[in-house]
Amino acid sequence: MKSVLVALSAGAALLLTACGGSPTGTNPSTGGAGVPAPPRASLTGAGATFPKPFYDAANFAYNKKFSQVTINYGGGGSGAGIQQLTKKVVDFGASDVPLSSKEADAMGGSDKVIQIASTLGTESLAYNLDGVADGQLKLTPDTIAGIFLGKIKKWNDPAMAADNSGVSLPNQDIHVIHRSDGSGTTYIFTDYLCSVSADWKAKTGGPGKSITWPTGDGAQGNAGVATRITQTPGAIGYVELAYVLQTKMKQAALKNRDGNFVSPSAAGATAAAKAFVGSSPSQFSIVNASGKDSAPISGYSWIILYKDQADKTKGTALVDYLYWLTTAEGQQYAVNLHYAALPSSMASYDLLVLKGVTSGGSALLSVS
Amino acid sequence: MSKGTAALVAPPPLAGTGRRRRRISGDRIFRAIAYGAAGLILVIAGIFIIALFIPALPAITRFGLGFFVSQTWDPVRSQFGALPAIYGTLVTSAIALVIAFPVGLGAALFLAEDARLRFLRGPLSFAIELLAGIPSVVIGLWAFFILTPLMRDNIDPFLKHTLGFLPIFQGSASGYGFLTAGVVLAIMVLPILIALSRDVIRAVPRSLREASLALGATNAETIWSVILPYARAGITGAVLLSLGRALGETIAVTMVIGNRPQITGSLFASGYTLPSVIANEFTEAVGDVYLGALFYLGVVLVLITIAVNVIARLLVWRFTGSERAAV
Repeated sequence: MKSVLVALSAGAALLLTACGGSPTGTNPSTGGAGVPAPPRASLTGAGATFPKPFYDAANFAYNKKFSQVTINYGGGGSGAGIQQLTKKVVDFGASDVPLSSKEADAMGGSDKVIQIASTLGTESLAYNLDGVADGQLKLTPDTIAGIFLGKIKKWNDPAMAADNSGVSLPNQDIHVIHRSDGSGTTYIFTDYLCSVSADWKAKTGGPGKSITWPTGDGAQGNAGVATRITQTPGAIGYVELAYVLQTKMKQAALKNRDGNFVSPSAAGATAAAKAFVGSSPSQFSIVNASGKDSAPISGYSWIILYKDQADKTKGTALVDYLYWLTTAEGQQYAVNLHYAALPSSMASYDLLVLKGVTSGGSALLSVS
Repeated sequence: MSKGTAALVAPPPLAGTGRRRRRISGDRIFRAIAYGAAGLILVIAGIFIIALFIPALPAITRFGLGFFVSQTWDPVRSQFGALPAIYGTLVTSAIALVIAFPVGLGAALFLAEDARLRFLRGPLSFAIELLAGIPSVVIGLWAFFILTPLMRDNIDPFLKHTLGFLPIFQGSASGYGFLTAGVVLAIMVLPILIALSRDVIRAVPRSLREASLALGATNAETIWSVILPYARAGITGAVLLSLGRALGETIAVTMVIGNRPQITGSLFASGYTLPSVIANEFTEAVGDVYLGALFYLGVVLVLITIAVNVIARLLVWRFTGSERAAV
């Protein structure tokens, strides 16, 4: 059934290109800023929910720019996105963590898929403490690990007091809130904990989208964690920066690798990304970055597609769109929503791999 | 239905024998449709079981029956066990029934038996239907925003103060956990419990009631010694149907249970249930074993539900001594 549908849509696309000539209203010269005009196509993607607001905004803008292309991003979670791409139900998948070698094998091997970084996010530690204002609470890698390991149980623990002179921390229980659903946000946070705490790594076994938490309660989604923190006096949890800013929660200043206390920000995420030269799907971790402004709990979000596209028209539209997404024009929709812009080194990496996408042996992206 | 189908299919009959022939062919078509529908249910149920079982195989072969007793749920190290989730499912459902049973039975008796406050029946029946019609996610939202602070600040401290000598009411209370989830489930099963019990009680023959009253029994004595024993099988069925609903409820429970896979004696503590684990983790579950473990949880849940149904059947048979099940 599926292959019939694919064949039908391929046939329809052929007919269109054969009879219609260039799609109405656009031709390469009106693409602007070196962005190629895509052929008529309808693209679908599925996967991570973290970048979904960005993709939705960008897809809407791209469709306004090139009305012949519609892109439908369904979300559903990284796992679902990877599975649907493996079964070729969707044209591209999105994940907060690049494919494992096992997942790549299921798609025919790591040389059959390509992965590009689409955006960059950072996480905050939000808290609910009366009398401690936004940014007043200072946390170090040791105290963060201590809290999430359940070793630091009270807000006025001596380990906390050392960094917070001048702030009166109450004699109150710490309620740890974490994600209950599998999540790239959790992956990046636990990746950070593993990189700063040998104890944590030994206890939990490594980073993961779902892990066995030493302490705390689970809540669903960024919004669920944010609400539970707001509701529970003494609560602390990790939340995407965008949610913290939207809900006006208090967030802690985090000590980064250079020893500076920074308030997580989009600029801090870009600074962290720049500190890692040569990031790629196999070297994707950018937590605990050096640099004085680097936000310590940051990470890329990825888009996955097949290197060899069966349908040339669709494949061309896909790479044209993805290239646009990584240019400044596409990235502005990320910045508006408190994601961080990709550093130029990562954008050029993306361009390089997108040029490698082929159909029937010929490259699909025509950008110099 | 059969007449209409027959009229569509059969040619216009000749006079005389025609009428009889048409009825026979109509019966045949109707029978075929009925058999087909019945067969389809079996096929769907079969496909469902197979579709649940096959993806669960990697986890079943790896963990075997140890899955039922292991307390570990560690996706990073690929070690999975269902015991905390089974415990949470059973405990929350049990709390729900403990709360809902007396309330539900009382309301059903009022609706079916009390003749004095008849004018309240209409509004009460309406309220029950309204409650039954509220989607569980809405009940979950209400519980998340309103019930949990109420439990944390009022109900849990009260229980701790009055019944704190019992281990189940000890420990710190965050407002999330087994007890809150049980209360939410109680609210959700009440409409079923009330509506079914009411119908069962109403079905008690009038002659029995009148005989009891004629012998000089009071209303309360009649209810206790005549009506409830007669309706016992039906009420048991109602309770077990409610239990079935409570076992499978997902979203509202997930929002208030705390989502922590642990087994503790305190009802104030956070826990996890089988449906909640599946709902929380399937979107990001990668790898055969992890996804298999989630399907295995599904198998466990289906087994528990089947067990409840079987027990319901057996109890109803025992009470009635025949197949006269009221539900």
